[in-house]
Amino acid sequence: MTWETLWPLLAQGTLDTLWMVVPAALCAQLLGTALGVLLTLTRPGGLHPLPPLFRALDAIVNVGRSLPFIILLVLLIPFTRLITGTSIGATAAIVPLTVAAIPFVARLVDGALKDVPHGVVDAARAMGATTAQTVFKVLLPEARPALIHAFTVMVVSLIGYSAMAGAIGGGGLGDLAIRYGYQRFETGVMFATVAALLVLVQLTQWAGDRAAARSDHR
Amino acid sequence: MPDPHAPDVLAFQNVCKTYPGQPRPALDDLKLRVPRGSRMGIIGRSGAGKSTLVRLLSGLDTPDTGELRVRGEVLGPATRAAHQARTGLVFQQFNLLAQRTVLRNVTLPLELRGVPRARRDALAREQLGLVGLGDYAGRYPAQLSGGQKQRVGIARALVTAPDLLLADEATSALDPETSAGILQLLLELQRERDLTLVIVTHQLEVVRAVTTHVAVLEGGQLVESGETAAVLRDPRHTATRALLDAHRPQVTLAPGETLRRVTLPDLTASTLAALTRSGARLVQAEPHPQGVDVWLAAPAAEAAPQPGAVPA
Repeated sequence: MTWETLWPLLAQGTLDTLWMVVPAALCAQLLGTALGVLLTLTRPGGLHPLPPLFRALDAIVNVGRSLPFIILLVLLIPFTRLITGTSIGATAAIVPLTVAAIPFVARLVDGALKDVPHGVVDAARAMGATTAQTVFKVLLPEARPALIHAFTVMVVSLIGYSAMAGAIGGGGLGDLAIRYGYQRFETGVMFATVAALLVLVQLTQWAGDRAAARSDHR
Repeated sequence: MPDPHAPDVLAFQNVCKTYPGQPRPALDDLKLRVPRGSRMGIIGRSGAGKSTLVRLLSGLDTPDTGELRVRGEVLGPATRAAHQARTGLVFQQFNLLAQRTVLRNVTLPLELRGVPRARRDALAREQLGLVGLGDYAGRYPAQLSGGQKQRVGIARALVTAPDLLLADEATSALDPETSAGILQLLLELQRERDLTLVIVTHQLEVVRAVTTHVAVLEGGQLVESGETAAVLRDPRHTATRALLDAHRPQVTLAPGETLRRVTLPDLTASTLAALTRSGARLVQAEPHPQGVDVWLAAPAAEAAPQPGAVPA
């Protein structure tokens, strides 16, 4: 394959990958953060201990994290169809990618919030902060560098997952690698795809590390 | 001096608190009154119940039995918010928010109460000026020294114009010189604003430097309380004496000699002559706001059971 024919394929693959990963990452960060906050608040010793709810959420997160992505992809086909109207293509892949990333983000957020010093939280409570104020004015802002780090790790994982989504017709760089590199023995396409994925991951990690460092005033 | 007839700002009435899984109560039938305008020192060793007392006072915990009255009202869910709005808290570890600037740290209590931004910024800048950190508003806590962090903590505690200031081991994490500066600042602020100051500490020198009244906690119980000068001059309880004796000077005693402490309003040539007449020798005289602690090495014959006597 010549560079002239490879280049548009690679560009389209990269765009498809970004179209899958970016919306999924944003949705997962939002929902995963909410779930992570709930875990932190409801755990025994948390600000609002609710052991039954905590155990249920904890179990959901564990199950979500232990399911291999390729299985989740298939399991979620009816749900994906319900939401996007189709189970094939890059848009459809956003749904399983989001669902896979939510428990992952929740666990990372829970860990990040646990690292906020207890004394700071107690001080805010003693100043009269409500639970919502404690979450939005103290816990989340104080954990910001760790949350940015968690977001970065999640995006890098999603880039990897998106390649798997390609395997069932999700499009993107993974799809390209399977169709040309694996099925048609186009080793050159395979290498180019790997290079594109590598650049995406490196850029994401670099930007994430930079943003986390800039936001950290400790 | 506080008015003896002033109403109590705080009154612990038979307060008990036991934490789950703990064999002993953290506070056991505590009765303690803090008069308005006083500077109350609450002193005790670790495990005496100081932290529990602070958690109750700051509304983070509630007593199992008994009542905690604040400004005449029982502290409970209905009165907690009003109490917290009128109480400033200063912490041992400062508890500043690392990701907020100094100014945003000081504005936090106002932010929680919905004070508009321009107003809270003006109030916070005023407080920062008063604690000598007017030029530090844009810095982050990590860029400050321990003493500066505690000044920010004090500005934050005072920004809501409280009438009660609770300092929890506020100088324990600081070096002696910085501690003295912070205590002086607390003292000045207390006088200027007619605050009631409650200082919880394990350091006797803090009680000496600042307080008008002292309460000694031991094993969750109040074992001794009263005016600071009186309690420290003539301590009744072994826990109080132990706190005083923790300051015994390092000295080599002759065989049979006993080290003993006498607290006097001041030390003159005639009192010293009287003290050493029976053969005792002066080891150390340590002045403090309540008088002078005089340490004497007394010969064996004089090692009578004097109050404050420490076996060699």
